[in-house]
This record gives sequence, structure tokens and C-alpha cells, in this order.
Amino acid sequence: MDFDFTPVFDSAGYLLGGVGTTILLSLLSIILGGVIGLAVGLGRCYGSRPLALVLGFYVDTMRAIPVLVLLVWMYFAFPIASGINLPPFWAAVVALSLHSAAYVAEIFRAGIQSIRSGQTRAGLALGMSTSQLIRKIILPQAFIRMLPDFGSIISRTIKYTSIATVIAVPELMRRADTVATQSYRPIEVFTAAMVAYFVMTFPVTRVVDGVYRRVAHRGQS
Amino acid sequence: MNLDWSVVFSHWPLLAHGVLMTVLLTVLTMLIAIPGGIVLAAMRMSGSRVLSLVSVCFVEFFRNVPIILVVYWAFYVMPVLTDLSLPAFVTGLTALAMNNSAYNSETFRSGLNSIRKGQREAGLALGMSGPQTFFKIVLPQAWRRVLPVLASAWVSLFKDTSLVSVISVGELTYTAMLIRSQTFRVMEMITAMAVIYWLMGYPQAKLVDWINRRYGVSE
Repeated sequence: MDFDFTPVFDSAGYLLGGVGTTILLSLLSIILGGVIGLAVGLGRCYGSRPLALVLGFYVDTMRAIPVLVLLVWMYFAFPIASGINLPPFWAAVVALSLHSAAYVAEIFRAGIQSIRSGQTRAGLALGMSTSQLIRKIILPQAFIRMLPDFGSIISRTIKYTSIATVIAVPELMRRADTVATQSYRPIEVFTAAMVAYFVMTFPVTRVVDGVYRRVAHRGQS
Repeated sequence: MNLDWSVVFSHWPLLAHGVLMTVLLTVLTMLIAIPGGIVLAAMRMSGSRVLSLVSVCFVEFFRNVPIILVVYWAFYVMPVLTDLSLPAFVTGLTALAMNNSAYNSETFRSGLNSIRKGQREAGLALGMSGPQTFFKIVLPQAWRRVLPVLASAWVSLFKDTSLVSVISVGELTYTAMLIRSQTFRVMEMITAMAVIYWLMGYPQAKLVDWINRRYGVSE
């Protein structure tokens, strides 16, 4: 068994372009997923009962359906159902955001519920409105407590962007696959891609955990 | 837009077979990944630096690499390593099992570590032997913390089995996509696939919530 990594170096620029797309896809999905997730989480905690039920159904549905199925549905079925044609990249952004939003919403809900009710009562007793209470008392504390979970959701999202290869988004996984097929060196190319993914995801959880250790005391009440 | 849902019903034996393969993959992967996780966790906590380093590298590597890439990788590497042409099912199973063993090992390790040292010391002070303390004091408590995490790992695994469709393992996703390309009934087949996953996954997600309420420990 002999290994030849030259195809990896020959296509380095092409593969790095894939890394760029992976990072862009991850960033957009994390930001969008974070915003939707915050809205859904708040809606479930403070919204009316029907709203909370609908949002709960959304979250549980996302927990029940594979990302791959969601992606494929967004790309192939959604245009037929709605008449809106999404390019592969944006179909992937929408599907990944909808998926991670459900998990982010669960993190927010758990974080908000972990703040003792005395805090809420104290805020209300001081004459704060509900929105003031959420912005000034609940979220700052809950946010710190949620940091480790955010770290894992970010690394999860980066890993899940690779599934976008099935709808031909030119991210790292897709480009690695192309180079592997053309060079007949799949083991070397996929190994290099694994290292690249490791380098992208491993530091994320470490950095977030490191930050959490420094600020954890701010989340204690 | 004219939809013809009969295509879903006329292909139900194929879809049912796909569902069966998905369930089989999930069950077999967990059957391998639970002992696998225990072995990895035991290696990490064994006190031997070599064993612990091997375990850490394995676990951290597989936790930080996408499963779909591991699946592709196994598809090309396993024939070279073993000199056998293994069926795609076995390859997919191996990739999923390696990934899940890594996750389970962290679950077991953090579950055991969450039991305070005083518990073990109290057991030993009462004259119990090391194994007795482990099986009668540490394990029953750690179990309650491990079970909810293991249950959500189960649901994640159930969903991740869809990824082995990329190497043509005939589970639900692969089967549905195949029928889609043969019948050109894109909307119907993909929606049916999503609905079937939902019908199976939704009760599992609810079960996880129940296990969390029933066994979850909060401090």
C-alpha cells in the first residue's frame, strides 16, 4: 500500500475554495439558525399557548427528520410546491438554518428555564416590563450558561454542511469527492478532507469552552 | 402542478424494506457502539497513558469529522485495509459504529465522572471492595445520567443512518431516492420519505423527552 498525496497539493487551491464555501455556509446557517432559534425559544417560553404548541411541533419535527431529508426536500420538492427555485447553496442555507434553529431554540428554552423564578419576580417587583426583564435579567445570565451548548451546536453545523454535497453545493466535501474521483486517490484526498474538517471544528468547541470557564461565574445566581 | 400519490402506495413493499434496513442499521450500530463506547471510556480511565492516548485520539477525531465523510472514507479504505470487498451495508455500519462509539464513550465517561468522589470513598470506608463500590454505588447513580444522553444519541443515530445512502446502502433514503429517479415523481417520493421519517422519529423524540423528565438529574 503506497500513498501519494500529490493530487491533494495539486488541487490545493480548488479544495481551499471548498473550505471557503464550507465556512461561509456554516456562518450563514449559524447566524440565521441562531436568530430563528432565539425567536422560537422565546416564543415557546413567553408566547401564548397556541403559539407555543405550534413552535413545539416545529422543534420536534426538526428533531425527527434527518438533515439530509430536509436538504433534499428543500432543493427538489420545495420549488415544485412553491414555485420558488432556490440555488443549491441557498437551499442548503435554509435547510441547515431551519435544522439548527430547532436545536438552538431548545438550548434557549433550557437556559431560560434554568434561571430561578425569584429572578423574574424580583425584576417584576422592581417595575420592569417583560421585555426589559428578558433583555436585562434573564438573557444575560442564561446566555452564559448556554455557551457550552452553543459550542457543540456550532461544531455540529460545520459538520452537517458536508451533507450539502448531495445537492451539489461546491463545499469541501463535494470538491474532495470530485478530486478523489478524478485522481483515483480517494484515500489520500478524503484523509486530507478529514484533517481539514478536524482543524475547523476542533478549535471551536475548545475556544467556546475556554471562554465559558472564564465567564461561568457571571451566569451563577 | 398535478400530483400522483399512488406512486407512494404502489411502491410500499420497497419502502417498507427501506424502513426495515434503517431500523436494522440503527439497532446494529447501537449494539456495537455501546460496548465500543464502554471499551473506549475504560481505556481512557484505565490509568495507562498509552491506552488513554489512543482512546482520546480516536474519540476526538471521530467527534470532529462529519459522518458522511467517514462513510465515504470507509467505503474506499476498508477494501484496501481488509483486502475484502465488503457489502456496502457492512461499510456503512462500520462508519456509523465508529462515530457513535466515540460519542458514547464521552457519555459514559462524563456519567461516571459526575458521581462525586465522596460516594466511592464512603463505599470503601464501609468495607466494600472496589468492584462492589463500582457496581452497587457508582454505576446505579451514573446510569440515570447516562440514559437520557444515550436516548438522544439513539435518535441522532436513527437520523444519521440516512447518510449511508451515499454509498448505496438500501435504507429508506436510498430507496426513496431510487424510486424518485425511476418514476420522476419527485415531490411525492421526497415528501413521502420525509413523512415516513417523521412518523418514526417524532415518537422517538417524545420518548427522549419523557426519559429526560423521568430519569433526568438536576443539581
